Amino acid sequence: MYNIWILTVQHLGLTLAGVGLAILIGVPIGYLITGNRWVAQLVMGFTDMMQTIPALALLALLMLWMGLGDTPLVVALLMYSLLPIVRNSYVGIMGIDGALIEAAKGMGMTRWQLLRMVQLPIALPVIMSGVRVATVTAIGIAAIGVLIGAGGLGAPIWRGMQQMNTAMILSGAVPAALLAVASDAGLSKLEQAITPRGFRNIASQNT
Amino acid sequence: MVIFKAVSKHYNGHIAVKNLNLNVKEGEFVTLIGPSGCGKTTTLKMVNRLVEPTEGDILINGRNIRDTDPVALRRQIGYVIQQIGLFPHMTVEENITVVPTLLEWPATKRRARGHELLDMAGMDPVIYANRYPSELSGGQQQRIGVLRALAADPPLILMDEPFGALDPISREVLQDELKSLQKRLHKTIIFVTHDMDEALKLADRVVVMREGEVIQEATPEELLRKPADDFVASFVGKSRRNDSKLLIVEQVMQPNPVTVLPSVGLAQCLTLMKRKRVDTVLVVDEEGVLIGGVSIETLDREHQRAYRIGEIADHNLVTVLNSTPAKDAFDLMVGDQLKYLPVVDEHRHLRGLVTRTSMVNAMASVVWGDEND
Ligand SMILES: Nc1ncnc2c1ncn2[C@@H]1O[C@H](COP(=O)(O)OP(=O)(O)OP(=O)(O)O)[C@@H](O)[C@H]1O
Ligand SMILES: [Mg+2]
Repeated sequence: MYNIWILTVQHLGLTLAGVGLAILIGVPIGYLITGNRWVAQLVMGFTDMMQTIPALALLALLMLWMGLGDTPLVVALLMYSLLPIVRNSYVGIMGIDGALIEAAKGMGMTRWQLLRMVQLPIALPVIMSGVRVATVTAIGIAAIGVLIGAGGLGAPIWRGMQQMNTAMILSGAVPAALLAVASDAGLSKLEQAITPRGFRNIASQNT
Repeated sequence: MVIFKAVSKHYNGHIAVKNLNLNVKEGEFVTLIGPSGCGKTTTLKMVNRLVEPTEGDILINGRNIRDTDPVALRRQIGYVIQQIGLFPHMTVEENITVVPTLLEWPATKRRARGHELLDMAGMDPVIYANRYPSELSGGQQQRIGVLRALAADPPLILMDEPFGALDPISREVLQDELKSLQKRLHKTIIFVTHDMDEALKLADRVVVMREGEVIQEATPEELLRKPADDFVASFVGKSRRNDSKLLIVEQVMQPNPVTVLPSVGLAQCLTLMKRKRVDTVLVVDEEGVLIGGVSIETLDREHQRAYRIGEIADHNLVTVLNSTPAKDAFDLMVGDQLKYLPVVDEHRHLRGLVTRTSMVNAMASVVWGDEND
């Protein structure tokens, strides 16, 4: 019998590792490509393409390269999460009113201060919604990680399918589904919480 | 304090500013004015190096700004951008104290400064310090935009149409505040506008630009008296037409003074005066011919003795004809210390009344332009 609690924690851990790495890599990429339209198109085209590779195929390729275990799964999750995170970082930063950037520069902010004090806080809600999409997707993909020897809730689902054991399938599928729903709700709460009060008013004024 | 030496700015072939020479003195209020696209914003941005000149040099306090680090330079120059540009995720206080934050002032000093500035602008810090820009009116936002430029007490402030999007009344109020503030704090201000009334009202010196070039550079007085060419003349035209030398009494008088018939009783007249809030009424007959005037003092003195207004009216009023130049009427009022001056036509029909208030309004419209024009 599987210990569902341990598998759930594993599942979550793998997802967080993949999405976490995607944030660490994707947000800086999203920021850096704001400097050049052409590069931005190229990079986003590339992340777009990665998303179109079927998950199973990508996992198989990564397994050939990195062997069995958790590592190829985390890398796959990272690659799938990159698109929404890079795209939303880019869009969030590019969408900032040029007047704010000019005011910030005009008052003597360095590039770094501009990023930290103006661009990131204003783009944060948009970036967070990319993170939310990435997380929900990653929880789903992590379930097939079992095929390349990774941990998580995929194991009871897969074994249950082989043995035609409905109870075993459900013991993995239900927690996985709950995990996805809960993260979606939790992250959307967080998204609201980090949206500055000043924005919420603008939003309500515009509607 | 700021010297432009043969400064030009080209945008791939297009000339935004052409051979600009300008010397802004310390404590001076200079306005740049001209039609849209004539290079005002570009000129301003070259001072804080948001835009680099294609040719020429700009000196601040004798030092070429090319030799100053742009970030350090900008922290010493107040800047109000054309679109206000308050940071929506920061509170009013945080917005005002951005430059002090960049300069790493301690938190308590920053806060004190923020509150001091809010007080100065007549906005109670208790109410406004922790609000967000979206929770302010347009006029309040523009005030914060100006306060933000003042926060680190820079000697030089660049303002790009800071009152652009305001209704005439708030605009007027903020202009008055800014002017008194500038006098009090002895700031050097370069102020962009395309509103001639605003330029004339605020400036020590007005610089008129067109298509990247300076057409005229003069005090408001000189500009009104001697516009350099037809372009400038048409620009100041509206204000010029109201020159007090050219106005006649008819244009400055108050057209509907309070009048009574001579047969009206004293008490009735008093009630009328109270209702209309005046201290003098003019007495006219049924044809509208002026007979005299009664002041509240006379009424008070004579109310025991007389019953009808006609009995106590002063028949020796000084009057003017409606075609008299306004200036002569004003001279007469000042010279004879008159409180008011009835205006009549050739047949002594009452046309209106010139008071000290009409005098003030007329003179104000000459200096600042006439809103009702
Ligand atoms: N970054 C830019 N690239 C190309 N052309 C520019 C740029 N900035 C300004 N220009 C051009 O330079 C000219 C002067 O622009 P500027 O913004 O200084 O005008 P302005 O006098 O401030 O106008 P307004 O009253 O509309 O604000 C305009 O023709 C404008 O199109
Ligand atoms: Mg402009």
